[in-house]
Amino acid sequence: EGLIEFYDSFKDMFEFFCKNTTIHGTIRLVCSDSNRMKTAFWTLLLLASFGMLYWQFALMFSQYWAYPVVLTMSMHSEPKMFPAITICNLDPYRFELVSEHLVQLDHMAEESIAFLYGIKTSASLFHVNEKNIHVKDLSSIGNASKSSFKLSQNFSLLRMPDHNHRSGKKHSSVGFRLCNATGGNCFYKTYSSGMGAILEWYRFHYMNIMSQLPVIINISDHEEQIEDMVYSCQYDGEPCRPSDYVHFHHPVFGSCYTFNSKGTDPFWTATKPGIPYGLSLILRAEQKDHIPLLSTVAGVKVMIHNHNQTPFLEHEGFDIRPGIATTIGIQQDEVNRLGGNYGKCTTDGSDVNVKLLYNNSYTLQACLHSCFQHIMVRKCGCGYYYYPLPPGAEYCDYNKQPAWGHCFYQLYNRLRNHHLNCFDQCPKPCRESVYKVSAGTAKWPSSKSQDWIRQALRHQNGYNSTSNRKDIAKVTIFYQQLNYQAVNESPLLSENLLLSSMGSQWSLWFGSSVLSVVEMFELLIDTLVLSLLFCYQRFRAKKT
Amino acid sequence: AAMAPGKKITARLKRTLPVKGPQAPTLSELMRWYCLNTNTHGCRRIVVSRGRLRRFLWILLTLSAVGLILWQCAELLMNYYSASVSVTVQFQKLPFPAVTICNINPYKYSSMKDYLSELDKETKKALETFYGFSEGKSKVRRSVDEWNSSGSDFFTQIPLLKFEDFSKTATDLRSGQKRKIEGSVFHKDSSIVNSGDSNDIIGFQLCDANNSSECALYTFSSGVNAIQEWYKLHYMNIMAQIPLETKEKLSYSADDLLLTCFFDGLSCDKRHFTRFHHPLHGNCYTFNSGESGTILSTSTGGSEYGLQVVLYIDEADYNPFLVTSTGAKIIVHDQDEYPFIEDIGTEIETAAATSIGMHFTRSRKLSKPYSDCTETGADIPVENLYNKSYSLQICLHSCFQKAMVDSCGCAQYAQPLPAGAEYCNYKKNPNWMYCYYRLHEKFVKEQLGCQQICKDACSFKEWALTTSIAQWPSAVSEDWMLRVLSWDKGQKINKKLNKTDLANLMVFYKDLNERFISENPANTLVILLSNFGGQLGLWMSCSVVCVIEIVEVFFIDSLSIVMRRQWQKAKKWWNGRKRDRSGKPPQAGDLERQGHDNPVCIDEDLPTFNTALRLPLPQDSPLPRTPPPNYSTLRLEAAFTEQLPDTLEVGQ
Repeated sequence: EGLIEFYDSFKDMFEFFCKNTTIHGTIRLVCSDSNRMKTAFWTLLLLASFGMLYWQFALMFSQYWAYPVVLTMSMHSEPKMFPAITICNLDPYRFELVSEHLVQLDHMAEESIAFLYGIKTSASLFHVNEKNIHVKDLSSIGNASKSSFKLSQNFSLLRMPDHNHRSGKKHSSVGFRLCNATGGNCFYKTYSSGMGAILEWYRFHYMNIMSQLPVIINISDHEEQIEDMVYSCQYDGEPCRPSDYVHFHHPVFGSCYTFNSKGTDPFWTATKPGIPYGLSLILRAEQKDHIPLLSTVAGVKVMIHNHNQTPFLEHEGFDIRPGIATTIGIQQDEVNRLGGNYGKCTTDGSDVNVKLLYNNSYTLQACLHSCFQHIMVRKCGCGYYYYPLPPGAEYCDYNKQPAWGHCFYQLYNRLRNHHLNCFDQCPKPCRESVYKVSAGTAKWPSSKSQDWIRQALRHQNGYNSTSNRKDIAKVTIFYQQLNYQAVNESPLLSENLLLSSMGSQWSLWFGSSVLSVVEMFELLIDTLVLSLLFCYQRFRAKKT
Repeated sequence: AAMAPGKKITARLKRTLPVKGPQAPTLSELMRWYCLNTNTHGCRRIVVSRGRLRRFLWILLTLSAVGLILWQCAELLMNYYSASVSVTVQFQKLPFPAVTICNINPYKYSSMKDYLSELDKETKKALETFYGFSEGKSKVRRSVDEWNSSGSDFFTQIPLLKFEDFSKTATDLRSGQKRKIEGSVFHKDSSIVNSGDSNDIIGFQLCDANNSSECALYTFSSGVNAIQEWYKLHYMNIMAQIPLETKEKLSYSADDLLLTCFFDGLSCDKRHFTRFHHPLHGNCYTFNSGESGTILSTSTGGSEYGLQVVLYIDEADYNPFLVTSTGAKIIVHDQDEYPFIEDIGTEIETAAATSIGMHFTRSRKLSKPYSDCTETGADIPVENLYNKSYSLQICLHSCFQKAMVDSCGCAQYAQPLPAGAEYCNYKKNPNWMYCYYRLHEKFVKEQLGCQQICKDACSFKEWALTTSIAQWPSAVSEDWMLRVLSWDKGQKINKKLNKTDLANLMVFYKDLNERFISENPANTLVILLSNFGGQLGLWMSCSVVCVIEIVEVFFIDSLSIVMRRQWQKAKKWWNGRKRDRSGKPPQAGDLERQGHDNPVCIDEDLPTFNTALRLPLPQDSPLPRTPPPNYSTLRLEAAFTEQLPDTLEVGQ
């Protein structure tokens, strides 16, 4: 027996095929050429079942390539870590470097309010500043840029008649004007309520002033002690430890502390659901009015978020009222996306085009902010103050970039209307935890117990208010249930099942298998080789 | 010829029951026969292909097909126990859940005076010594004098202590004496809040009564917490000694708590509420507890059609040390669920209207082998101490309580009593607190095994709550409303109501949609088998019959061929031996051999699947005596070039 043997003729080959093929029924009947009628009939049948088979295959594959997913929901109950909790006192510092400008700004605001409403509000609004301005001294940084900054008078608040003539009443809106670098293409940023306009206008100036500060402020040197804000901290009945929190300063939300930010310490494992096993804090919730026009809310901002995630308090914060005990029950939901062909998502953000400006794990919000900041630096030449800076850029300042406000507000509008492609560039994370929150409140301290509570706090924690003002708050954050719902995407049609159903179809219509197809394939190759051989022989025969 | 009777019977049997041996005399012939005749694709090609290369390729293809089948089927099997989840949203008349309402303050302070006066004096004294806080100096002075005369020594065992700079000394609150702190110390992390040097740390110390060097020290980040914890500790000891009937009388009655009640737009009263005594929260009242046999339901969603109650929270009668917040606690639960009010109750505020919207979800999980959950809790080796249906929380609490009774000899106050046990108090069990704190530490570190024993419940109901608060009563309505409510209440109390004593609560369904999440097995046996069939068919056009065929040929037939060989060899050897030393009888042990080793059995050919089923062929059949090929009309040539002697008729 040779290594490769070929048939003597086509007839031989087909005979061999017909005799030995494993394709069931029909093909054998086609092979038997005893009755022409029968053969023709069976050929038709064979072709029909062939057609059916491939039609079914096409349906199956089109379904498979659409990558359908099913959402499966599952309940898990393994022990897990307590989420990270960030609390802010809504009281940003007045840094010494810029305090002079802030005073100027306050005066300007006073004048604007007087101009717009003609009331002498100024006295009652700002007298706090005059006597006890709490100035954060940053003398170590130096004051090189101090003299160069000047408050711009170009953006004054104006009252504009409203164009809405439908209602008979006279309406007016308040706003300020923004122009591009050459003074053209002006538009008004208007608000129907003067309050919104003044806050926005103040914020705009505030950003310019704050841009004078160095990018990295080392607050640890002048650290506000956590004791000034948190009078008591207990988790699962045990006092919190100094390693359990990180401190940062937010230009709007003030001093912020994140508890359990890393999520690795076994101290913070959640062992039981329920109020006694949660995080319980007694907080100072007094408004010290350092910068009165920045935020008009008194209390404490609380945010519950994942570990290693930058807390975006402006998006998801939760306000705590003074004089109230708030119990916040949380419940975790987890969403797992498949990614890949099944939908766009990213596991760690490394495959996203946008370079993240935050040092933490990927979130959609962080990506959007980074994307916006990159575009802002490219288009307007400077960075938005509330977002971190990309390397080499600087924060916007209308002394240096007089038209940045115009540029920024237009850009921001485009982002909001989804005209910037940030929403396309930032995919959702593949794995997301969502904390569902429900809260109950009760009056705290009760009138019977407030005397001794205040006395104890005063004595031990440096609480120094003698009045009965509502200036303390209690927060308890606890897991309502330890089992959490996970919503997982899973493929509706896995390869495994696709192959199985292909096999069933194949058996149903054809009674054959992959090996039968290889047989057909072999026949095809043999036919080709034989015809080539015969051609070659005939060619040689002719030649000789 | 005359035959021996035994041989005759064998011959006859062979004739009537044509039991044949394997289809081929040798293993290679058997394989060849199998490949030519099987329905499984690929095999035939190995035999009939011309050329070594082709043959090799076909062997490779066939083997890889077998491998693929095995792999895919294994994967199918592994995914068999997966569950798919279906969510159905039904619009229907929903049964209203049970709503349990408690005053945050468990017992009327005024009526508790008899029991708590000593403890309160002690607490006030502690406040005075530590913080210089006093309400009415003379009163405290007097109480100190009284104290010295009274013989109660329970507070001396666990006094509040002031620690100074961790120098292992502490000031005793009572005597003012310094005492040395000895023994091992728990929780010795300095708390973040008290890092200042001038601040003192307040806490208490629990010692093992039998061995005073074993102590646990409890410090707190704030004196507020320390005093409250310490107070609670003594409070529980005192309460444990009071019988239940007395406690029920000391707490609020339904008339005290409920001022007005509306349900589904109709007025309701205290008869709709069931009293439920909670060890830490006193008398609580459950609306729609189902105890009367009927469970109410709402006709429509919306705040108008839910439960609306006005609660009277008598703030003046609050215990100042036990509770520091004012209001009520409510919990929404199923009728046969236990209300864990201390764990997950929602607080509501006074002088406010709290509306709580509910959204109902029912979930069902599949139990074993899909997930590790329990249907009724009957399979959990922990006795359910609560008279309610099983939940994980109940199991954990019961498990802890049982461990407590086992190791400390008495039961913890906040949980129900197991049979035959009684609540801990330091009159009877002076050591219990140290024991409890030790045990609880163990529990948290999962050393008690409770977390391993207790499983999730398979089905549970959940009411997701959305809370919103509005100021109530409004400034203009306050006047008349308070007057009317005071008049209603007037029969019992003789004081004008204050708006801070009232709380308005509304609990209602946001919509009457029930969301039902249920797990179903993703695979049934039918689907699994059809997927198996698909895989077998796809790769080799194989079926169950072909699997049986493989078993027959590769195991039974091959084995019998091998055995026959061995037997023939052994027979030859035996005959030669017999010839050598003829006359010697065979050894007795040989006859006792059984099964395949028994030569008597091997002599007869083993029946096979094919041969056993085949009918006897006609005597002079022109066709060869091989089993007919599956497509006999087409297969014209004989399977074997030579006829095997083994397959021939015996009689010939």
